Amino acid sequence: MLRMTTLRCGLWLLAVASLPVAPAAAAPASAAHAARVHVIMIDKMQYGPMPTGVRAGDIIEWTNHDILEHSVTARDGSVDLDLKAGASGRFTVTAGSHTYFCKFHPTMTATLLVR
Amino acid sequence: MTKSLFALILTLGLGSFASACAAQAPAAAPAINDAQIAHIAYTAGVIDVTAAKQALQKSHNKAVRAFAEEMARDHTAVNDQALALVKKLGVTPQDNPTSQSLASNAAAEQKKLAALSGSAYDKAYAANEVAYHKAVNAALQDTLIPSAQNAELKSLLETGLKLFQSHQMHAEHLAQSLK
Repeated sequence: MLRMTTLRCGLWLLAVASLPVAPAAAAPASAAHAARVHVIMIDKMQYGPMPTGVRAGDIIEWTNHDILEHSVTARDGSVDLDLKAGASGRFTVTAGSHTYFCKFHPTMTATLLVR
Repeated sequence: MTKSLFALILTLGLGSFASACAAQAPAAAPAINDAQIAHIAYTAGVIDVTAAKQALQKSHNKAVRAFAEEMARDHTAVNDQALALVKKLGVTPQDNPTSQSLASNAAAEQKKLAALSGSAYDKAYAANEVAYHKAVNAALQDTLIPSAQNAELKSLLETGLKLFQSHQMHAEHLAQSLK
């Protein structure tokens, strides 16, 4: 009996471990809302236009097209994403108004609204 | 020698050089070429990196140091790109009177700043950065970018202009905060 339980647990763990790994925060905010990926370009010392219709649980992907390193740093300290020239990075957003700046170039700012 | 380059030189306190050039300049000055443009842009970057290194040695002000780090990092990155581009294009940057005067006058400015300390240094460094970026940006916008023949060089200069405009804005904020 113990052996059977151990085997079942082992199989369960194996099954869980084999699931595709996704960031915990990337889960949809609700069952009805599938997470979407929104891409924002960074170019010539500016964050590209902020996407509209972003919902909690969506993923924001930032791509740095500049020849310099930039960051996407949240004013509230919740995010600090460093992006070397040509690099991309992503994170999942929560509801609210989020203000980001580049810690290397403080004149670069953007505000993203998330429902 | 174009009007904008004169403006750059005069703004940087190179009046005596400008006068000397004006006296010697032929009636129709030859157009500036890509090799000279690359040299001027590279020299302008080196000057600001040198100024930033001096600031990092002299200043204890957090905002001034952050600004200087930004200048050193960004101008080095742009100059690295410029070097890679001229290598790719097989162009040898060509020294010219504008580059020479920029370098010699920057050395004089650095000497002046070296004699200052504390908040007097911080204010003078920030004010000089505002003036320097204004002058370089005007030269880029009015002369260097329009004169550049190679599309990749022109594009790099345009990217540099956006970057340096951001630097100018940052320098203005810094100078204002130090008043």
